[in-house]
Amino acid sequence: MKKQKGRSIRRESKIWYKLDLSAIVYPTLQRRDFSSVYRLSVVLKQAVDPEILQQAVDIALTRFPTYKTAIRKGLFWRYLEPNNRPGPFVQEDIRNFCMPMPFKAGNRYLLRVYYHDRRISLEAHHCLGDGTGGMCVLQTITAVYLRLLGHEISNGWFVKDVDEAPDPGELEDAYMRYANAQVSPARPGEKTYRVRGTKEPFYTFNVVDGIMSVKEVMEVAKKYHATITEYLNAVLLYALLQKQQSEWHWKLRPVKIAMPVNLRRFFPSKTLRNFITMVYPVIDPRLGEYTFEEIVLQVHNYMRYFISEKFLKGDITTNANTQRNPLIRVVPLFIKDFVVRMFYTRVQDKNSSAGLTNMGALRVPDDMKPYIDRFDIYMGQPFSSRTNCAIISFEDKLTINFASNIMETDVERFFFRKLVKDGIHVTIESNREKIS
Amino acid sequence: MSYCVNCGVELEPSLTECPLCNTPVINPKELYKQRVTSPYPKARGQVDVVKKTDLTILICIVLGATSLSCLLLNIFTFSGSLWSLFIIGACLILFVLAIPAVIYTKLPIYISLLFDGAAVGLYLYMITFNTSSDEWFMRLALPIVALVTILVEIFTLLLRSFPVSYITTALYFFAETAFLCVGIELLIRHYFGDPLRIVWSAVVLTVCGVIVVLLVTVLSRRRLREAVQRRLHF
Repeated sequence: MKKQKGRSIRRESKIWYKLDLSAIVYPTLQRRDFSSVYRLSVVLKQAVDPEILQQAVDIALTRFPTYKTAIRKGLFWRYLEPNNRPGPFVQEDIRNFCMPMPFKAGNRYLLRVYYHDRRISLEAHHCLGDGTGGMCVLQTITAVYLRLLGHEISNGWFVKDVDEAPDPGELEDAYMRYANAQVSPARPGEKTYRVRGTKEPFYTFNVVDGIMSVKEVMEVAKKYHATITEYLNAVLLYALLQKQQSEWHWKLRPVKIAMPVNLRRFFPSKTLRNFITMVYPVIDPRLGEYTFEEIVLQVHNYMRYFISEKFLKGDITTNANTQRNPLIRVVPLFIKDFVVRMFYTRVQDKNSSAGLTNMGALRVPDDMKPYIDRFDIYMGQPFSSRTNCAIISFEDKLTINFASNIMETDVERFFFRKLVKDGIHVTIESNREKIS
Repeated sequence: MSYCVNCGVELEPSLTECPLCNTPVINPKELYKQRVTSPYPKARGQVDVVKKTDLTILICIVLGATSLSCLLLNIFTFSGSLWSLFIIGACLILFVLAIPAVIYTKLPIYISLLFDGAAVGLYLYMITFNTSSDEWFMRLALPIVALVTILVEIFTLLLRSFPVSYITTALYFFAETAFLCVGIELLIRHYFGDPLRIVWSAVVLTVCGVIVVLLVTVLSRRRLREAVQRRLHF
């Protein structure tokens, strides 16, 4: 028995995972007051029992080996290794969530599970995986939790079978499989409009949630001959343009949104790690004043043109070529960190005015639906002072979650007022404390 | 069920004002209704403190072993002079610098700066064992170290007490540079027995004075301050 245990420990100590192409960047940006942490929440119809939730987390996480890991530094790259320390422990939720996640704290786990009233929240460091992977973990935890309460929940969609071994395809770095375009298109970067605001003190995380009906939003989007994503993108661009107009500016700058695209839609992959790339819908007010209809049309055409298999393949090839370059590979990690951080701060971060992600309409197994009220998604603390917007829908409930670390709510106000003006009924929730 | 009169959005029942425009929510029909609790928790979280035990042990062992081996070499092998004091003193300074970073992170910054000053003073005192007299230490080195420590403490105090911007930081820096140069020149003159007056430090004082006046003017005029911030922002 002892021998067998010793063998399994030895076998496990040989397992490690390379960081995927996107995940390489996130740990580099780690600061005392910033980590690339996102949050996914599910609101159930009954209050959560923390003890059963802890059992559910312990059971479900064995199914996701890349999420039960710790990050470590090598000489040239960071990597993930299995983490067998106790945890992660479920904890009572906090007001200022998406807090920085020091790599050596919390028994080195890169995810946290919170509960509050009817809400279960999962916070994960982006180096583990993207929203799709995180949603699989959250929904599987929720399904196991409901099963422990005595409900019959089947597997399917994001709910994985906890009794089966993880599929090797779920652990792969899917970028490398598809990064095979023959050219790597250059990525022009230009300075865009930056939302100015008063920075909140450390530990503050401001959230404004807008809850509305999917049907209503879809009807309005159809009126503009656009999809929901295109319409909401256009509303955010419109809000940012209004914000820029309303404040003092030396000269106008283009307004650009950084929007992650789920590559699984175009390149079949089961991976639960990162498999996204960014597109940047843009409106340049220096060309003239845009009406809202023109903004929607511009976004619609942009999306149709750029979100295609060929363009996306070119984009991930550009990223992959940097990592494949032997000269870059032999550079020690601390130099890579320095260069990447400098590039991100000086170029990448200035390349967009806000972030917007749309997880789309979530599906859960039919027998799980009666226990779920809604889902929430938060992009996490923005790297610089700005606002991030995340959208998710479940059944007829569409939730738009704004997260920011600035005091002003101008962008959110312009955004939601436009929705109301278009005839959408919006309910607002917020964790903001009284603003003076 | 209340709506914001400005934004037209429905507000979740626990909100007392619209989070988008700060307009207070007053529902005449629900004036005496009991407050609903917020869907968000009240408790605020704190980032976990990482224990750097391994690094602390490593630093203590490396510095301790270096000092001890040099001392033993000095006593038993190369015993011509007390050269090991230079290395032991340097190790001591490194150890004191490492205290707030890895060993005891809760140490107030003012006390850790005081320790840093004391460590530099002790190092200089150790050097006196290798020089013919310790007069230079008592009359020149120690007062300069004390002056620098006091100025650094004041600089930290100013940065932590008042709103920080590039302009204010530059103001403190130039004002303290002028004081430091004048102090150093006076101490040097006192050490050599020359009459107490300022010569080269007067040039520094003038330049710093002009810069300080300029910065104070910029700070006191809001329009000017904003114009400078706009033009120099990066």
